[in-house]
Amino acid sequence: MPTIKKTKVEYEGRVEEREVIVEEEYIEPWGADAELTVVGRPTPRVDGVPRVTGRARYTHDARWPDLLVGRFLRSPHPHARLVRIDSRRAEAMPGVWLVWHRDQPPPVERFEGRPLFTEELPYEGAEVAFLVAENERIAEDALAAIEVEYEELAFAHDLDDAMAEDAPPTLLDDESNLVDPEGDTYERGSVEQGLQDADVVVDLTFTTPRAAHCCLETHGSVARWEGDHLTVWHSTQGINRCKGSLADALDMPMDEIRVICEYVGGGFGSKFAAENYTVLAALASKATQHPVSALLDRREEHLVGGYRPSSRQRVRLGAKRDGTLTLIEHEAWIGTGAYGESGPIVGGPAKDLYASPNARTATWTVRANTDAHRAFRAPGYVEGTFALEGAMDALAEELDMDPLDLRLKNYTEQSPSRDTPYTDKRLREAYEIGAERMGWRSREERRATSGVWKRGWGMATQIWGGGGGPPAKAIVKLESDGTAEVLLGVQDLGTGTKTVLAQVAAEELGLPLDRVRVVIGDTQGTPYGPGSGGSVTLASTTPAVRNAVHDALRQLFGIAAYMLDMPDEAPDQFYTEQGEIVYRPDPTKRISFVQVAAKVGNYMFVGTGARGPNPDDAAINTFGAHFAEVEVNTRTGQVRVNKVVAVHDIGRVVNPLTATSQVIGGVNMALGYVLMEERVFNARTGLQLTANLEDYRLVTIADAPVVDVAFVDVADIQANSVGSKGLGEPPIIPLAAAVANAVADAIGVRITALPITPDRVLNALRAEREEQ
Amino acid sequence: MAIKPFAHGNAVTVAEAVEALSASCRPLAGGTDLLAMMKADLTAPESLVNLKTIPELHEIGVVPDAETTKGLRIGAMVTLSQLAAHPAVQGRQELGRGSLTRSSMAVLHQAILRTASPQLRHMATLGGNLLQEPRCWYYRNELIPCWRKGGRLCYAYRGENKRHVILGGGPCYAVHPSDPAVALLAMDASLRIVGPAGERTMSLAEFYHPPDRETRTVTHLAIDELITEIRVPAPQAGTRGVYVKVAERAAWDFALAAVAIQAVMEGDTIRSCRVALGGVATIPWRASQVEEVLMGQASSPAPLSTAVIDRAVEAVVEDIRPLEHNGYKADLLQGVLREALDQLR
Ligand SMILES: Cc1cc2nc3c(=O)[nH]c(=O)nc-3n(C[C@H](O)[C@H](O)[C@H](O)COP(=O)(O)OP(=O)(O)OC[C@H]3O[C@@H](n4cnc5c(N)ncnc54)[C@H](O)[C@@H]3O)c2cc1C
Repeated sequence: MPTIKKTKVEYEGRVEEREVIVEEEYIEPWGADAELTVVGRPTPRVDGVPRVTGRARYTHDARWPDLLVGRFLRSPHPHARLVRIDSRRAEAMPGVWLVWHRDQPPPVERFEGRPLFTEELPYEGAEVAFLVAENERIAEDALAAIEVEYEELAFAHDLDDAMAEDAPPTLLDDESNLVDPEGDTYERGSVEQGLQDADVVVDLTFTTPRAAHCCLETHGSVARWEGDHLTVWHSTQGINRCKGSLADALDMPMDEIRVICEYVGGGFGSKFAAENYTVLAALASKATQHPVSALLDRREEHLVGGYRPSSRQRVRLGAKRDGTLTLIEHEAWIGTGAYGESGPIVGGPAKDLYASPNARTATWTVRANTDAHRAFRAPGYVEGTFALEGAMDALAEELDMDPLDLRLKNYTEQSPSRDTPYTDKRLREAYEIGAERMGWRSREERRATSGVWKRGWGMATQIWGGGGGPPAKAIVKLESDGTAEVLLGVQDLGTGTKTVLAQVAAEELGLPLDRVRVVIGDTQGTPYGPGSGGSVTLASTTPAVRNAVHDALRQLFGIAAYMLDMPDEAPDQFYTEQGEIVYRPDPTKRISFVQVAAKVGNYMFVGTGARGPNPDDAAINTFGAHFAEVEVNTRTGQVRVNKVVAVHDIGRVVNPLTATSQVIGGVNMALGYVLMEERVFNARTGLQLTANLEDYRLVTIADAPVVDVAFVDVADIQANSVGSKGLGEPPIIPLAAAVANAVADAIGVRITALPITPDRVLNALRAEREEQ
Repeated sequence: MAIKPFAHGNAVTVAEAVEALSASCRPLAGGTDLLAMMKADLTAPESLVNLKTIPELHEIGVVPDAETTKGLRIGAMVTLSQLAAHPAVQGRQELGRGSLTRSSMAVLHQAILRTASPQLRHMATLGGNLLQEPRCWYYRNELIPCWRKGGRLCYAYRGENKRHVILGGGPCYAVHPSDPAVALLAMDASLRIVGPAGERTMSLAEFYHPPDRETRTVTHLAIDELITEIRVPAPQAGTRGVYVKVAERAAWDFALAAVAIQAVMEGDTIRSCRVALGGVATIPWRASQVEEVLMGQASSPAPLSTAVIDRAVEAVVEDIRPLEHNGYKADLLQGVLREALDQLR
């Protein structure tokens, strides 16, 4: 009998309570010592070959001869009022199908609570008009033929000038540029007490830049209307969320909408729902009765594709002489855009990374005249960890303690903010493995004191959710030839989701991996699955797959019992092995899937499964530590990261191969954040100067360090039946802090502003010289 | 953005190409800069004349007998990859009478290998490289009407200028982006230029001029002229060179500062030398004050004395005028010069 149960799910630092229907019988988690043959083995991606041979079809590949091209006219000002727009000339051009704008709105005028085309244009790139034409060339010529008159308005382009006393409003009707003047606050114990008890206090301010996602595949949708039925190819991390938001926006029944995203060229948090371009492509497709694409170009991607918000963070730590923390205080100001909502949980690490009786976090989000920030791989935690772990190192220096010892001194066995135990926490092992592999304890022997390149070491810690939770569903179809198809309404963001789903299904089915096909990336025919965010996909979906297989096998075992002339035997008296059903008490009694299927006449066994609830009163988190060795050229300010040791505790590692590549990718993405990435705006014009991949620098392979990846790899059997937690975001969290700490160790000056570019290093060294 | 339509024609001879040139018909070499400029709508020629189809521009070789010009001649259409792979540039082939060692061509070889990325070097030609447009983020932004593009204001002057010039700036403050040009300036290279009136030769030092009120360009090349050849004089015995470049990223990035040195040693003494700077001025910049400090100083096998290095490092920043955010370039330039002098040994 299905029952309803409340369960807690952590998502990007927020803990939500959800009600779920529990229909599953409990299945035994795979224990730490379970003998698994597919799960836990390094497994190449099941879709690796199509990805690297170009056969994988992305949203940008959805093309037909009758495809029409949709393009936007965008505001060239950081803040303006649309005075006049006249598109008659454009409409008269051959090959132009339609133009929509404020004075000539599309059939659906509003999206997400705002008109699709507004009079006030509060950032560079804000949509002024949408035009559909036969091809790109015509579309661009036609866009240029639209006459527009703007009235330029005062603007604030970044955190500092948006917070200034006399700052202009980023939206004319807003009284304040603060999203919520109260801010987002948390407190335990009291700050006064923490200060009183402290022998040593450090107080530092850190700043971080706006950092762009730079998805290789830019944002975009292609829509095709057939009768009453809408199909949308959408480059997304959430096919189901896209379907839902489209149904809302277009006021359509959900069963008339199909969303497809078999492959996505990067999302990193910036591609969850349907967007204005998706809605416009759909409306235009209906209006023209042609498929219509709306794909952003690289410049648009930088202007309106989102970014990790900028931050100014003040961290105050108090400690006893022996290193025991008495206070963690974290205040932050987050820089979003004109339509930005409250920023991410930047105070998350300050709340939860260390035991301290007194802790306070407070975060305010500030609007400026840019596009809104978007979730970006471990939102808030990347920024917050950089600041907290930088301050921890400053404290260690003040106390003359090894940075690792200071962290161990304040180790917490339970969640400080939730006041509950963890399902499992093996951060201590991660520290040990990392310190060992980096040679942390013997690092002084390797310090180069003479010479121009100064060597230094730094480390930092990571906490993140990743426990996942319901709802997530799976369907398994066992075919008569002993192959299986597994269907889920999820998508593979590039993390290897498809491969781990196949592994878990194969393991539970007792089939070799190549007999299992996974179907994802299409809302048609698949049951509901979550968006690929918050590192939840694996931990949410793989237990549902186990349940679905279990359901199918139970049916199969019933028939097998009958065929093996033991019709009264319970299903749990059987197990599977290499495509055969085996009788547990007497393994010589066995029958293959194919034989069963043949005898019952081409019968297909269909199993369904859902993700069960999370355990009560326990926090599910992932942990990890990064250790970095850097060299800094004191003449030129260049920073070279030689080596990173990255150790993560994510429970059971389902696929060591994709997990390792996930960590290498995360480390290198974070490397750009700490060393070179920054969205820069011109103060005079408010225009973005880095809206391309030349001025917005991503790391190249020549910058990449040696990354030594390790996992604690012990199943967290409290967490879920697979024993795994997520790894999408953890690898990007601690690196910036580890590298910044290593740079401080190398040159003796702490750089508290990212990115750490040669100018910052040289300026810091000069300031230090001039002080002496 | 899509590129505006344009006509495209192949030239087979230099004369044919020169004939075609005008303000609205531009020469196309590797296209790595020109096509990007067109794509960004920063220039919109009506037609392009393709130089790839002119065989003689691809030649690379040793100058025949003519006494004075012995050395390497590099056709303008030789790609950076081809050049870096050439035995002469790698120091494996004799150049006329000149004495050639690996170190005598090292400055050019190193500069090319630090240029852009392998993919770009396969397409980019040496001629195109010397004539590339600035990468300044105001100049390249189609919404910003900067002075260099015909506007009234340099937005870098009081703007975000950490990558801009510290030497000889104004009215434009955009850095000259070429690495090879800096090395070639240190090597005292010259250019063969062909126009409607015939052929002329010009040293690279004369070829570039900082932009001024009259001209918003940085070279003396007329609109209807082509560079056909780059000539590098044969190195004298005892020549050694070095190119050091610092950028924010390890590859595929422009210099924040670069130093090229080409020195002629006589025993342990620097008999003569040429020093050129990149990433700090609107054109490849000759640092004669540094040359004066170094000339006559003992170097090899011992490193230059600290006193000499300190004086050279003082001299290199003598004339700088930093902007609000690029003061660090003074320290950086000094640091790069120190590295270069270290490596000159
Ligand atoms: C991402 C990126 C990174 C880069 N990094 C570097 C770097 O680190 N260092 C560096 O030095 N450069 C760098 N470059 C610039 C690159 O080296 C130049 O774009 C290239 O050398 C230009 O050569 P081309 O043959 O492609 O010229 P084109 O783009 O074809 O032409 C450039 C200009 O020269 C003109 N022209 C070409 N040949 C002749 C000729 N023979 N006579 C007269 N006019 C001619 C063209 O009309 C055009 O105006 C980079 C470029 C990019 C895109």
